[in-house]
Amino acid sequence: MSERKTIDFFINGEPAVAYDGETVIQAARRAGVDIPHFCWHPELSVPGNCRICMVEVEQEKGDPWFDIGCNMPVTAGMRVLTESETVKKLRRDTMQFITLNHPVDCGICSKSGECTLQDYHYEHNGRPSLSIDRKNHATKFYPLSDRIMLDNERCIMCTRCVRFTHEVSQSKALAAVHRGDQALIRPAEDANFNTDAYSDNVIDICPVGALLSRKDLSNARVWYTESTPSVCPGCARGCTIDIWHRKASWKFTALDPQLNTRIERVTPRETPEVNGPWICNKARDLSALLERPRAMEALVAGRPVPTPEAVVQAAALLAGAQRPLVLVSSWASNEELAAFQSAFGERLGRSLTAVVKADHQPQPGEVEEDAILIVADKNPNTRGAMALFPAWDGTIPPATDLVVVWGEGGMAAALPAGLPVIRMSGYAASDNAEAAVFLPLSIQIERDGSYTNIDGVVNSFRGYLTKAPAVLHAIDLFPSLAAAQPPVLTGRAS
Amino acid sequence: MTLPAQVGTGRKFFMNFPVTADSHTLAAYRGRGGYQALAKVLSTGMAPTDVTKEVTASGILGHGGAAFPAGRKWGVVKLDDGEPHYVCMNADEGEPGTFKDRWLLEHVPHMCLEGLILASYALKGRHAFIYIRGEFDLPWRRMRDAIEEAYAAGLLGENIQGSGFSLDVVLYRGAGSYVCGEASAMLASLEGKKGWPRNRPPRLTVKGLYQRPTVVNNVETLANVPIIIAEGAEAFRKVGTAKSPGTQMISISGHIARPGVYEVEYGYSWERFLYEDCGGMQGGKALKCVIPGGVSTKILSAEELKGVTLDHNSALAAGSQVGSGGMIAIAEGTCMVRLARVIQRFYHHESCGQCTPCREGMGWMERVLDRIVRGQGRPEDIDRLYHISTANDGTTICSLGDSAGYAVTAILDHYREEFEYYIANGRSMHDGTLTVTDPFAESLARWHAAHPGALSPTLAAGAH
Amino acid sequence: MSRIAHLIPEFEQWKTRYPAGFEGSLTIPCLQRIQQERGYITDADIDDLVAYLGVPRTQVDEVLGFYTMFTRKPIGRHHLQVCHNVSCSLRGAEGLVAHLCLRLGIGPGETTPDGRFTLSTVECLASCGTAPMMMVNEAFHENLTPASVDALLEALP
Repeated sequence: MSERKTIDFFINGEPAVAYDGETVIQAARRAGVDIPHFCWHPELSVPGNCRICMVEVEQEKGDPWFDIGCNMPVTAGMRVLTESETVKKLRRDTMQFITLNHPVDCGICSKSGECTLQDYHYEHNGRPSLSIDRKNHATKFYPLSDRIMLDNERCIMCTRCVRFTHEVSQSKALAAVHRGDQALIRPAEDANFNTDAYSDNVIDICPVGALLSRKDLSNARVWYTESTPSVCPGCARGCTIDIWHRKASWKFTALDPQLNTRIERVTPRETPEVNGPWICNKARDLSALLERPRAMEALVAGRPVPTPEAVVQAAALLAGAQRPLVLVSSWASNEELAAFQSAFGERLGRSLTAVVKADHQPQPGEVEEDAILIVADKNPNTRGAMALFPAWDGTIPPATDLVVVWGEGGMAAALPAGLPVIRMSGYAASDNAEAAVFLPLSIQIERDGSYTNIDGVVNSFRGYLTKAPAVLHAIDLFPSLAAAQPPVLTGRAS
Repeated sequence: MTLPAQVGTGRKFFMNFPVTADSHTLAAYRGRGGYQALAKVLSTGMAPTDVTKEVTASGILGHGGAAFPAGRKWGVVKLDDGEPHYVCMNADEGEPGTFKDRWLLEHVPHMCLEGLILASYALKGRHAFIYIRGEFDLPWRRMRDAIEEAYAAGLLGENIQGSGFSLDVVLYRGAGSYVCGEASAMLASLEGKKGWPRNRPPRLTVKGLYQRPTVVNNVETLANVPIIIAEGAEAFRKVGTAKSPGTQMISISGHIARPGVYEVEYGYSWERFLYEDCGGMQGGKALKCVIPGGVSTKILSAEELKGVTLDHNSALAAGSQVGSGGMIAIAEGTCMVRLARVIQRFYHHESCGQCTPCREGMGWMERVLDRIVRGQGRPEDIDRLYHISTANDGTTICSLGDSAGYAVTAILDHYREEFEYYIANGRSMHDGTLTVTDPFAESLARWHAAHPGALSPTLAAGAH
Repeated sequence: MSRIAHLIPEFEQWKTRYPAGFEGSLTIPCLQRIQQERGYITDADIDDLVAYLGVPRTQVDEVLGFYTMFTRKPIGRHHLQVCHNVSCSLRGAEGLVAHLCLRLGIGPGETTPDGRFTLSTVECLASCGTAPMMMVNEAFHENLTPASVDALLEALP
């Protein structure tokens, strides 16, 4: 750890250590003591408005004092109590206020099941409202942006969303307008929240169901789904994510089976040295990237064939080529790359050249790069691939007699006409039928693996889908592809 | 400027000259000895710390309501930290019942300004601010003119009177918000933002305006500074009491016969002030209770006022505070339930909305009181009001929430039976009117005749 | 910069009194000056002001929503703002409002059809000793009686 000065104090009678400058809530968190909080967030400024993090501080002489723990600097010898009777009462009172005007929407609210307010209600209050008066009404279904829906009645004015846009995404797109219990979250009137590439993070950090994804609204109750850790392949930042999908135990038996396998939503998985707790909207829209039409069959000269037959054909082509060029996928996992290198080890650098291509380029309308997370290289494992092979300069050496295109990109238009091509990729494309042999490959969510991001950090992903039988895992394919012996030279002219 | 002899209700620092059409001008102020304090400091090369020492020695307590020792607040600022320091005059007088700062701004703007200049000198400030509420038109114009006169006379700007001390003053108008009278909200407003108060730490004297050390003082507090400097702390302390030195500008209104601004020497008998100097109650009625220092202070009944003197310790001992000096006299027969409803409407309207207990609690209290006043009260409503008030006590970012709680619970503590009656019977124990003498009685009666069943022209159909 | 361009020299003058880096502070005074001239703030004014001061748009939106003295739409020529807080209520504010309602035929929050008067009830204006009273645009009118109110309404253009 660093050389920061430490302070000794006590939480609930137990000794604890804080760094100089830390607040009670920060030090408590590291000590494993969870002080409830709505408005506090470790990555954002401290507004101290929800008041649920009130703690008790014992005095040597006199009565204890009470204040919010999120703005309370730790002092030496301080004796903090987080579970005293008074603190519990303060939390109950705060929960009474928080739920005073909050609509009982749980039955129709998408946040239900992962809602901090729900959890705290049961944990810290659990009693009916003391009010018999009507609740305030406000806008429901307010379109905060094309992507995000705002329900002002559910909002508890914690201002996490406002602070996020001012401090993290820098779009400064959200504001808290009006006063008192008429105050509302609203977008800046020049409506630039649509252009905030990080807008959907406010959905995660909203502690209630006030901010919801419009496209994911009412897709599935959160308890019907589970998440699998993954890495976003949208760019070389490699943000770690959770991909949510339906639990097997809750699978539909009579509806479209795709509902059981589709991506329900994507949320950030916190990795301090990569993306912190944030991801950009491209990650949110991963279903658009990963669930494109798949290549489901092997093809030989455009004709569907059983996969083993295509593999044999491809292996023969490779064995017979004098100077094959492999355009290595920058979407390949480290494990696939290692398998490739191992399988073709003998020929690499001698009769077989492998270079790394950029499978994807930035698309029009996409943010190319910024100072936050987004990187210009739209491929997740360029660095992993470049650790083994050099970059492709875009040209085909004149002596090349076979091109193997691994992954997307390497479009036929860029290759000399008449050159035989073996293509292997997960996705359907018109070029697939033009290839001499086409082999369908599995995609990221069908296997385990890892990518190395732009800074050299290795992040792992897990698969949660079973690939179709006709589809190949590259790791299994490569030994077969490399195993074929070159044809024995006969006297005949070729 | 010498301390005048006893006149009327004790010795006076401010109300000691006849108010005329130009008694507020620079020439008139100078004629009364104005700016001698500033000249004394600049010409004798008095050190900034010595100015603060004098103010501390005077024992003067802040006149904005919190009664914090002014010298102690100044003393916290580290003069040689290399940071800009700002002094801000809080002229956002919004506490209901209070209009004494208005008198000072309209009639002795130069005295307030001289105090601000002296404070800036003591705190090594290069810029000072006067935050004046947006509704104050005449006070704003008078202060604006005073500032221009001061610049023209070399009392502001670069190198004041050849001393090397320079000061620019910004006169900043508010735009309609009671909570901007809270110091941190005021500074947020001065930064051109909405007036949301801030949690402490850090204190404003460490990180205030634009995160720089800032001292916020009430108008009256600053207006006292020229006297303290010109005459010295000891002479100042000869006026008032040991713990409450000096005078208090009192604004009195309500059912009193002679409402207005009075300057009262601390230690003066409260009853004497009400019944003699202010002429007692309208229509010869008995006094029911008094709101001592703005609606954020707890009411004191006529009984509780017996023997109480106008000073901080005495008021505290009686269970209330001097507060902002905004005294409201309430006559026998006034419906305290309706009064509580008016007070709570105010707090609800002014809540900034930031923190949970106040944002939700103010509206809740208003709804409960509104229901009671409309004859739909329930027995548990009284406990609710106590609950909401207690839950706002010490749990909020600023004291708006606490104050609403104190105001309502003090009324409940004193006049619970009126609430119980209203709840049980669906109407006021008294006739429901809030006036003793109403110049518009006839119009009100006609309005009620035209709107049978309606409660009041000032209440919308149900609390908003 | 079309609609507020003529005010910029004034704004630039104000800046000279403020410390460096205080441009954001000008948000409120500039809005007040714009409203003083036009009577209300338009969306175009906000765009121009944001461009001139370089403050985030949200800051202006929040200011306009928070403070009671700003208006985004035109109101009556004479804004009658009657205090109905404690002291004024104790001395006849209710009756004053009743009187105005009967005279003008509108309720609080409304404007007369001819656009001459808007009636509002407001909180304490620090005029408690001269209650009942009201503020008409910028001017205080105190110690009101039915006669003085009627005379005032008559005299206002």
